[in-house]
Amino acid sequence: MKTVTFLLAFVISVSGIASDKYTEQMSKHIHAVYTAKTVEEYQAAINALERIGAAEKTKWEPYYYSAFGNLMLATKESDGSKKDGLLNLALASIEKGKAVAPTESELIALEGFVHMIRVTVDPVTRGQQYSGMAFQSFGKALGSNPNNPRAQALMAQMQFGTAQFFGSSTAEACGLAKKALEQFGSYKSENPLAPVWGKEMVEELLKQCK
Amino acid sequence: MKTLITLLLLAIAFPALSQTRITGKVTDASGEPIPGANVLIKDSYDGTSSGLDGSFSFVTEEQGLHTILITFVGYKQFEQAVELAGKDVTIAAILKEEINQLDGVVISAGSFTAGEEKRRTILKPVDIAMTAGGTADIAGALNTLPGTQKVGESGRLFVRGGDGSEARTFIDGMVVLDAYGTAAPNTPSRGRFSPFMFKGTSFSTGGYSAEYGQALSSALVLNSKDKAEMNQTDIGLLSVGADVAHTQVWDRASLTGKVQYTNIQPYFGLIRQRVDWNVAPESFESNAAYRQQVGKSGMFKFFGNFNQSSFSLFSHDIINPTIKQKYDLTNRYRYGNASYQQPVGNWTLRGGASYSFNQNEVRLDDKPMGETETGVHTKIVAEHSVSDQLEIRVGSEAIHRQYEAVRYNETLDKSEALRFTELVSATFAEGEYYFNNKLVAKAGGRFEYVNLTQSATVSPRLSLAYKPGKQGQFSFAYGSFTQSAQNQYLRVNTRLSQETAQHYILNYQVITNNKTFRVEAYHKEYRKLVKFDSGNPQVISNSGNGFARGVELFWRDSETIRNVDYWLSYSYLDTKRSYLDFPFAVTPAFASTHNFSAVYKHFISKMKSQVGFTYSYGSGRPYYNPNRPTDEFHEDRTPAYHDLSANIAYLPKNNLIVYLSCTNLLGRDNIFGYQFSSTTNAAGVYESRAIRQPANRFLFLGVFITLSKNKSINQLPNL
Repeated sequence: MKTVTFLLAFVISVSGIASDKYTEQMSKHIHAVYTAKTVEEYQAAINALERIGAAEKTKWEPYYYSAFGNLMLATKESDGSKKDGLLNLALASIEKGKAVAPTESELIALEGFVHMIRVTVDPVTRGQQYSGMAFQSFGKALGSNPNNPRAQALMAQMQFGTAQFFGSSTAEACGLAKKALEQFGSYKSENPLAPVWGKEMVEELLKQCK
Repeated sequence: MKTLITLLLLAIAFPALSQTRITGKVTDASGEPIPGANVLIKDSYDGTSSGLDGSFSFVTEEQGLHTILITFVGYKQFEQAVELAGKDVTIAAILKEEINQLDGVVISAGSFTAGEEKRRTILKPVDIAMTAGGTADIAGALNTLPGTQKVGESGRLFVRGGDGSEARTFIDGMVVLDAYGTAAPNTPSRGRFSPFMFKGTSFSTGGYSAEYGQALSSALVLNSKDKAEMNQTDIGLLSVGADVAHTQVWDRASLTGKVQYTNIQPYFGLIRQRVDWNVAPESFESNAAYRQQVGKSGMFKFFGNFNQSSFSLFSHDIINPTIKQKYDLTNRYRYGNASYQQPVGNWTLRGGASYSFNQNEVRLDDKPMGETETGVHTKIVAEHSVSDQLEIRVGSEAIHRQYEAVRYNETLDKSEALRFTELVSATFAEGEYYFNNKLVAKAGGRFEYVNLTQSATVSPRLSLAYKPGKQGQFSFAYGSFTQSAQNQYLRVNTRLSQETAQHYILNYQVITNNKTFRVEAYHKEYRKLVKFDSGNPQVISNSGNGFARGVELFWRDSETIRNVDYWLSYSYLDTKRSYLDFPFAVTPAFASTHNFSAVYKHFISKMKSQVGFTYSYGSGRPYYNPNRPTDEFHEDRTPAYHDLSANIAYLPKNNLIVYLSCTNLLGRDNIFGYQFSSTTNAAGVYESRAIRQPANRFLFLGVFITLSKNKSINQLPNL
């Protein structure tokens, strides 16, 4: 009987590992997105994440990171229409993620990030509409999780850019950036797959504040 | 017991027992490899990406019947069922191209589109407002595009040898009667609708869709903005008046209201005018826009406009300028437009109703006269995507117009009225078929029945576009177009047939990110134009005809010079028509052979300003000189038209804009034509008087303030 119990325990722990194949696989590909350098590396990681997303019907993280990957590709792209294409892909992934987790602060913040990059394609025409949408998304993201350091950092970035464009005071933006930096130090999500990027961005921003 | 252990062991060990290797290659229809495609087994994590040569290979521990999916952006998903049993599987995947209506071929003959979303547009909404010389008027800005004529005394769009009435305006698919405000004789009128209201503009100079009828030369299709996103209040202080607008936003709806008061008296006090004003133009306007989202993707839009304007002036006799006549005008205008759009299954239904009321109350030396027009337009359209290659659209509409003109009869010393009620019923159908991403064809037709003549017209429309390479594309369009005779003729003879025009258009254009080149040639044949029998305007028929043909060039570049955006347009026009009182076919007075525009915009970030210049040229226009014999009708030409206009928008703070514009910087005395005395003078000669600009320059100063919670919002996209 002892053997049976042991074996059962073993099987359960093995299948436990198997069911956490999700976390294991995700960790691997999230790392790949964070460290990708070439378009091919990004594409391979995005594809892998999309595969996991298609297989898992209740997870938002795969779509979050595939969107993040396409967004990173968009920031590196100089051709306006290609950039728009990548942003459309990112947005499509975010929509899939939101279908699973509609109030996830990280997804909403990332959506705002997409709008923010959208402005850069044609600032004169798109400025008002998309910066308005970005502000709205960051506000919503902070509404559902006021401690999300990425939402704070992106909001600070947006406020800074706007203040700089109009030559007005950047004090409010820099204050928020400082708060975001502190938050990056203390914020800890219970989700092992939660995003961790953004600290460098806010550090860069704070350099400009000085 | 033993069995259980064995089973458990098996359960653990089994997956390792059989692996299947899946290899293959992903190509497009022409055999070119597709790298980076996502290869996966449905509902599993297993899969890979195709390499640079399109090939892939991976191992899976899945067993049994499965589906392999291969996806890549711009292509349809590839599916293949496979049996996974340890034996190698090889897949040759040929991905079919998806029809891409955004970057693929588009029908461009005859049309200029301006939108926020589509990148492949020639003008952007902000261009319409910020074009120097355009004075934030839609027609003013479009007049810098090829195909248009500089007709400075009108302010309307004159397209390809067509007169001002041949270009019709549509808002959210609904026709607008009297789209221009009322202006004093020979002074330019402005469009009634501000460019701020619209998210997209499509200006067609010919060959437009079967959905649009009752327009001989041009369709200006304006799409109003969707639901607003933010509460805000906008205040404008103008050198000619003031306006205030407020937008209130709810979760699924928004309401914008605006009131505006304009009085040109103070301005005319400062700058001398050639018009002898008794009371300078004054107007009060209010409008409201309501947007409501319905269900998941339904949208209800309402727009209403109320406007009242008036002025009074003296016109002087040509031979004896001391004899003058007083002309008072009060214009009352109301416009309401409600539209609704709702997807139903695979179909999209849209429909709407619009109401126009326009009344001109005129007093000529205090003798009353005037005209009133009321129109109701209803329309319903159903659109259906049969596949990603074929789209069909069918619709039906009715335009009902009631018109009455009152004239004072001197001999009888009483007022007399002329009136008509016209009902145009139409049905149209159109199909658009994408053969592939290189070739698209659109064919359709429009059937119209007019109650006044109890007759019907059938107007076929056809367009094709072919995009052989990545950027350049060729388009061709043909169409037959009809329009009721203008009110002033229809009221004399309500049995007048529809005037008709046939368009043939060839177009080549190249659009890259920040550069556009376009060349277009066309031929237009007019038939059944209104003509006076032996010059008598009381006896009119449809015996007129004419033609217009030309070549047009357009170049826009916002890339080569940093922070500079410029465009150049040139139009060559050859047109003759025999209509109205013309004794034979001649070039009409509104047509000039050569038209050229250069628009320059420079954003100076240090000064937080955008500076713009527009230069316009129009070659001399014909005019009628009664001192010449009949066979020299329209032989004379006015001097050429030149205008250099400038504007500057300065943004000192996030929510504050100062805007200054000036037309005709060089102060050229442009002459648009000549008026002649109705009788000869003592020497037996008809005396002439030039039709000039009311003042050489028009100066405009405005300060625009936006109040909202979000301080970064300003009215720049509106200006």
